[in-house]
Amino acid sequence: MSPRLALQEKDYSDLFPEGEDLQRQIGGRRRREGLARIFFMVVLIVAIGALATLLYTIINAAFGMTAIVNTVEPDTIVAEMGHDPEESGLSDLSYDELVMVLENSVTNNVGRRLERDQRFYEDRLVFENETTWAQICASSQAPTGCDAAPRDKAGVLQLVNERVVEPDVVETWELIPSLLEREVIEAEILSAEFQAAHPGARPEFRAWLNWQFVTSPQSPNPETAGVRTAILGSLWVIAITVIFAFPVGVGAAIYLEEFARPNRINQLIQTNINNLAGVPSIIYGMLGLAILVRVLEPITSGSFLGEGGSATENGRTIISAGVTLGLLILPVIIIASQEALRAVPNSMRAAGLALGATKWQTIRKHILPAAIPGVLTGSILATARALGETAPLVVVGASTFIITDPSGPFSKFTVLPIQIFQWTSRPQDEFRNIAAAAILVLLILLVVMNATAVFLRNRYSRSN
Amino acid sequence: MMTGEIRTTEGDISERSRSDQPAPTDEQGTAAESTAPPGVIVTEDMSVYYGKFRAVADVSLSFATNEISALIGPSGCGKSTVLRSLNRMNDLVPGARVEGSVRYHGDEIYDKDVDPVEVRRKIGMVFQKPNPFPKSIFENISWGARINGFRGSKSEMSDLVQEALESAALWDEVKDKLQESGYSLSGGQQQRLCIARAIATKPDVILMDEPASSLDPIATLRIEELMLELKNDYSIIIVTHNMQQAARVSDRTAFFNVKLNDQGMRTGRLVEYTETSQLFTSPTVQETEDYITGRFG
Repeated sequence: MSPRLALQEKDYSDLFPEGEDLQRQIGGRRRREGLARIFFMVVLIVAIGALATLLYTIINAAFGMTAIVNTVEPDTIVAEMGHDPEESGLSDLSYDELVMVLENSVTNNVGRRLERDQRFYEDRLVFENETTWAQICASSQAPTGCDAAPRDKAGVLQLVNERVVEPDVVETWELIPSLLEREVIEAEILSAEFQAAHPGARPEFRAWLNWQFVTSPQSPNPETAGVRTAILGSLWVIAITVIFAFPVGVGAAIYLEEFARPNRINQLIQTNINNLAGVPSIIYGMLGLAILVRVLEPITSGSFLGEGGSATENGRTIISAGVTLGLLILPVIIIASQEALRAVPNSMRAAGLALGATKWQTIRKHILPAAIPGVLTGSILATARALGETAPLVVVGASTFIITDPSGPFSKFTVLPIQIFQWTSRPQDEFRNIAAAAILVLLILLVVMNATAVFLRNRYSRSN
Repeated sequence: MMTGEIRTTEGDISERSRSDQPAPTDEQGTAAESTAPPGVIVTEDMSVYYGKFRAVADVSLSFATNEISALIGPSGCGKSTVLRSLNRMNDLVPGARVEGSVRYHGDEIYDKDVDPVEVRRKIGMVFQKPNPFPKSIFENISWGARINGFRGSKSEMSDLVQEALESAALWDEVKDKLQESGYSLSGGQQQRLCIARAIATKPDVILMDEPASSLDPIATLRIEELMLELKNDYSIIIVTHNMQQAARVSDRTAFFNVKLNDQGMRTGRLVEYTETSQLFTSPTVQETEDYITGRFG
């Protein structure tokens, strides 16, 4: 008999716990399971708590009571224009009436400046006289008003608000006290002491996040400032990012996963991609500044297409920003796509090839459709990250103050995170309120984008 | 104690197969195979390597037209490797390399100027696990024909799909749900769908890698009946773990076994290749007899 067989004569079942021992042993294992479960639950609650606190802080600042002092009451303006202030507000006035209000209220100097930025009428001038206008427009430094389309009603309404009504928020309260102690706050504003400091101040509940905020361009007044330019900038930049990074990333992943042989060079490339995913985003900003803004300036400024005037010609454009963010999320998209492709069983590849299909036919018809939900999930997460990115765009050169909407990939731009960053660093209280409102806009934009992408992904994977 | 005894016996056999493995046996095997008629696929001294590891050594086989040839042997003896080498599916395995000669109708399939796509176009394959595409039943079958340049009209394509499904004895079960996913079928039906898919491209040879190993006995029986019908039109080479299956369906059987070399590497090698009836009743090599009588593996 070999020693191995001798061993088998021993009854190993003695060595397993039985009866009470077994109970105790199972009890111990169950207790450890319970501890693990409690730990994970606590972690989850902490995470949810942190998120809730964040949202609470933002929403608390984005809405609340304000004490407002108007230089000119809107009702007075409406009455001056011959309407009943009880029935109509400023927004009910016609375009012509609004221009007339401006004409009556602002100095001719200011008016001329406004007109040079953007005219009021296609066919006539309000503040400027025809001869001077023709001279200015013929000069080498023609202002934007010479070729831009005339202002729309929303624009003029904002001007009236900014220049004539001039509402000034003299004090703000947070949302929670505004809801719970509204009477106290109102009484405080109307008190003699407060009125002495701010004559004519009246309480008003203000949602800093409102439609006017979303549709107005940037302004130095927190009361009239909006995020339209920043939203459009963000959308343009993200569009360029996706157009650049998605095909390149998925293509690179297909090559690495399906075609590349595992030789030294390809392993080196793979390692580098993995490392690039961890490079701080500001480094990508430096790359974008050095290559896209400076070296490729003739392309990124759009001057090769004859776009952009001599004054605006530089590479600090939407396309530079979009490609920079594209480079930033490229490694993430590549890695996610590779994982998704790797998860497709090899039997599917074998099935295609055994029928006499080429590799590409198999990939296009069977492998890629099977992998696309995973590819899209990775790309959605990466795009969401790009949407919130600030640092690289500061380096690439987003505009800090810009009121003209981006008109294409070669425009100057700003994006929501940069706008938020700008506002949070201002000393006045009201800027913090609109920063909170802008954060909410960014969050909503993110949720809408993700929801759309998830919807598309689900529809795609169902149709397969 | 029972298991102990078996283990001892097994130890003895591997001992024997290593030590008193007579060199002439190999020659006997080769002699038996050289008398076979010239086949559709002929291998000569074919060795398959995975990197430096030699998985199968010196296989010389000739597979006859319109016959079912079975490859049997214990696990790890390289029979699946041999099968995959016959239509260059081993190209997919990184580091796989084939030495020696593999001829299809006299042409070397491993020549530099031979496109593996062309080889696989003529030599189809059915795998161990059913692997339909996650597409409709119709598309599962029509796709292979379409990518291979099938020039027929829409109705001709429908006829082709129907014919393939009929040949695979699946038509009656799926004719009302051709647009449903291939995944909605049972395992046995999926495997027959895979066979129909292979047939639809009108190959010359069909390789089957343990096509019934994941199926229940009834589904297995259906696949076996199907193979017997298909052999009128196709040459079939099948790998199987199941000796009864080989005995039931095949015309010729090749027995492979594992040999441990000095470094302890396991290399598969062809022991005996002859008509199935002869191999199972009067094998010429002791190793074969041990295997088929169940005293091994």
